[in-house]
Amino acid sequence: PSSERAAAHQAWARCQRCWSSRSPSSWQEQAQGTMLKVLTAFKSSEIEQAVNSLDRNGVDLLMKYIYKGFEKPTENSSAILLQWHEKALAAGGLGSIVRVLTARKTV
Amino acid sequence: MAYHSFLLEPISCHAWNKDRTQIALCPNNHEVHIYRKDGAKWSKVHELKEHNGQVTGIDWAPESNRLVTCGTDRNAYVWTLKGNVWKPTLVILRINRAARCVKWSPKENKFAVGSGSRLISICYFEQENDWWVCKHIKKPIRSTVLSLDWHPNNVLLAAGSCDFKCRIFSAYIKEVEERPSPTPWGSKMPFGELMFESSSSCGWVHSICFSASGARVAWVSHDSTLCLADANKKMAVATLCTETLPLLAVTFITENSLVAAGHDCYPMLFTYEESQGTLTFGGKLDVPKQSSQRGLTARERFQNLDKKASSDTTNATLDTLHKNSISQISVLAGGKANCSQFCTTGMDGGMSIWDVKVRRPRSALVPPRLG
Repeated sequence: PSSERAAAHQAWARCQRCWSSRSPSSWQEQAQGTMLKVLTAFKSSEIEQAVNSLDRNGVDLLMKYIYKGFEKPTENSSAILLQWHEKALAAGGLGSIVRVLTARKTV
Repeated sequence: MAYHSFLLEPISCHAWNKDRTQIALCPNNHEVHIYRKDGAKWSKVHELKEHNGQVTGIDWAPESNRLVTCGTDRNAYVWTLKGNVWKPTLVILRINRAARCVKWSPKENKFAVGSGSRLISICYFEQENDWWVCKHIKKPIRSTVLSLDWHPNNVLLAAGSCDFKCRIFSAYIKEVEERPSPTPWGSKMPFGELMFESSSSCGWVHSICFSASGARVAWVSHDSTLCLADANKKMAVATLCTETLPLLAVTFITENSLVAAGHDCYPMLFTYEESQGTLTFGGKLDVPKQSSQRGLTARERFQNLDKKASSDTTNATLDTLHKNSISQISVLAGGKANCSQFCTTGMDGGMSIWDVKVRRPRSALVPPRLG
């Protein structure tokens, strides 16, 4: 529903800002938690459209959060993250994964 | 021949002579081998054995026909052809780490060596003492210098480093040249002056290249990006995050187009749009697929399942000409302003020559003729 989508967009914007500034690790953890909630909120069929709405920097940022999510798996998180990973990879290519590995600023 | 497999090991580095009849390359050891084109074949004509460590850089001066080599043994040698023998002259670089790259200046009266000592050695010949001396550019380099390229004015030098930065220095040597006239990169150029420094990308700068006019410099980094700084736009930097694995080599082929290649094993075209200050991906060059669209037999399917645990019918082998990463690109014909032919060498031990065809206003890359 549209209210969920709006909430997801807001959370996404907040996560983007959190990454751009030098945020303390507590904020980063909060952003990661929020990010995971946002990604889980989407239905599988909606993932591709969501990814395609992002620009290059957005796809790179999404990929960073996906790998951060892999680092601390929860009950169901890996399955959902893998679905997001497949679509993000199709949009950003291997280069987006390389930039996760070489990034100096972590999410 | 458009693709030649020289070795089963990587070609560490290569350089061509002026008329492109001979290629000097390091076959992943301490030597330099020179091959000459004999019709469709390549024959080895010289073996240069002097280095005590892997040869990491070779450059062949077109006019004076001298070779300069550098290696992990912290040395550089200038080679002169006397009769039919290449004679080496040791150049003391005063470095305590491996040398990584070497380039003759356009006038061939100097050469620059980048090294793991976090500095660049600018070497020139001192007539009175009859030997090569060197001066160091140190500040503010903080890690290994991986790549170098000279500006056409013989003074400015671009350097790519493992500290993630591309820098342009002045390598003005008053003993061998006149004071240079101002360029878009600046007017005061004392030796070692930093004219430009990129803000941090996040990857080692593998390769760097000035455009033919010298007004632009492009570099590729290990974070899968291609960047270009335009001196005519106040040194504004355009960045392109590619979808590929990191690129290892880049060169301009016109003032607005570049060819780069790397760990994806194929060269690709990029164009710079000056008015908007943007870089765009212009297409990849690939060997056209052979018509292998026949289905798999039941036996092959079972073998796939057995060997690779996959019932996938797609081919897992590389479709590209080079079967491993391309580590170096050199312009063969047309210069960096109007390149019509370039060469790639890679970790598969192969060397390939590519033709650039200009169709109407846009360039297109034509795959090499095989066989």
